[in-house]
Amino acid sequence: METHITHSEEATREVAEEFLSTLKGGEVIELVGDLGSGKTTFVRGLVQALGSTARVKSPTFTVMNEYPTQSEKIKLVVHLDLYRFKEAGQLEALAINDYIKPDSIIVIEWPDIFEEPVLRADRKVMFRHIDEATREIQFV
Amino acid sequence: MRILGIESSCDETAIAVISGNKDILAVEKSVVLSQVKIHAKYGGVVPEVAARKHLEAIFPMIQNELDPQGKEIDVIAVTAGPGLASALRTGVEVAKTLAWVWKKPLIPVSHIEGHIYASWLNGEAQPVFPALCLIVSGGHTELILMQNHGVYSRIGETLDDAAGEAFDKTAKMIGLPYPGGPEIARYAKEGSPDAFDFPRGLINRPNFDFSFSGLKTAVLYKLRENETRINDIQFKRDISASIQEAIIDVLVKKTMKAVKQVNPASIILAGGVSANEALRERLQESARQVGVPLFVPKLEYSMDNAAMIAAAGFYRAKDEKNYLNPILLKADPNLDLI
Repeated sequence: METHITHSEEATREVAEEFLSTLKGGEVIELVGDLGSGKTTFVRGLVQALGSTARVKSPTFTVMNEYPTQSEKIKLVVHLDLYRFKEAGQLEALAINDYIKPDSIIVIEWPDIFEEPVLRADRKVMFRHIDEATREIQFV
Repeated sequence: MRILGIESSCDETAIAVISGNKDILAVEKSVVLSQVKIHAKYGGVVPEVAARKHLEAIFPMIQNELDPQGKEIDVIAVTAGPGLASALRTGVEVAKTLAWVWKKPLIPVSHIEGHIYASWLNGEAQPVFPALCLIVSGGHTELILMQNHGVYSRIGETLDDAAGEAFDKTAKMIGLPYPGGPEIARYAKEGSPDAFDFPRGLINRPNFDFSFSGLKTAVLYKLRENETRINDIQFKRDISASIQEAIIDVLVKKTMKAVKQVNPASIILAGGVSANEALRERLQESARQVGVPLFVPKLEYSMDNAAMIAAAGFYRAKDEKNYLNPILLKADPNLDLI
């Protein structure tokens, strides 16, 4: 386990860039933490570090957003937010498996919204809100 | 000139025909099939489900509404983005096919530009340039200065969450169903907007950017402090009214600050959150005080529709450079207005 303390959104994005360097492509990554603990900022850091200028927004309404990148290794970031989901059975409708490809990564916010774990994830990052500007980020 | 508009960027399948005579637009047909009930059970729009529903809906819609040879149509305008990749593709591929078969010019339109042009569907009263546009929806919160048709610059935007998302996430926290915006507005009617003092992100910054993620965290902590009252209806109403007040306060104050600086001839309120009555009233009141006319779309054109896409297409069609070879058009989920 690797723990980082960040004091700004920019620092959180830098931690994301560091995390990115440990990825090969094809991973499913869980982001676990409260509202406002830095998950979406972290995804913004991943997408930016891959050379995309897209303005990453939390996919609450749309459940899933796709960001094509400029990178050869990871060509697409699929960003999911399960915050509003009610039952694990509904996950099937998302066809997540269709998005798992060697040159894509899938990042999932609120994978723990269901009582039992339902997703096979390769990596997990935990977020904690310490105070207004400070966040704790752990690569598990 | 008659324009066919096609929209499928999220959870509404829509087609419309509008006619433009000089600069006055008339909506001849506007059909919208909403999937909102289908997605409500998931608590959000599921892209694969949306794409399938668009496919089921769009051809019967075209058959029912249009001449099979496309005789009454001069130009086809379609939403090319931003939106859900798989949902956008349905409308884009249908528009390409029709343009190809009917040999009509094809014009890609940004969904955001469409929302702005919903304010050109009010008949003869049309916005005057330069126009300051406040765009607020589930995915967007930005201030755009429009110098002329199709000429935009962004003067401010949210650094984190969109206003619509702040409404929906906080709604879920207090146990209100999806979509949360209208629910918060409904509960807010009977609540006290001063009950809780929620943060107004970046309100004193000299720029025109927004931030709503601090509000989310503040509501979370307020709920933890008041765990025993979470099922109390008046508590929910007060929380809702205070959340709505915090969001509207920032939107209106930042917009009026921008009005002071850029001195626009009109203000346009656009996007799904423009349906929020309290926001409409507050912005109307502030605009009246400084004597700048505010344009707000009719309710039916404030939500996703194709008439607004056709309206944007009408102005784009004045310049043939905006015509696109159908084979070249691709849906772009992150298409930017600027």
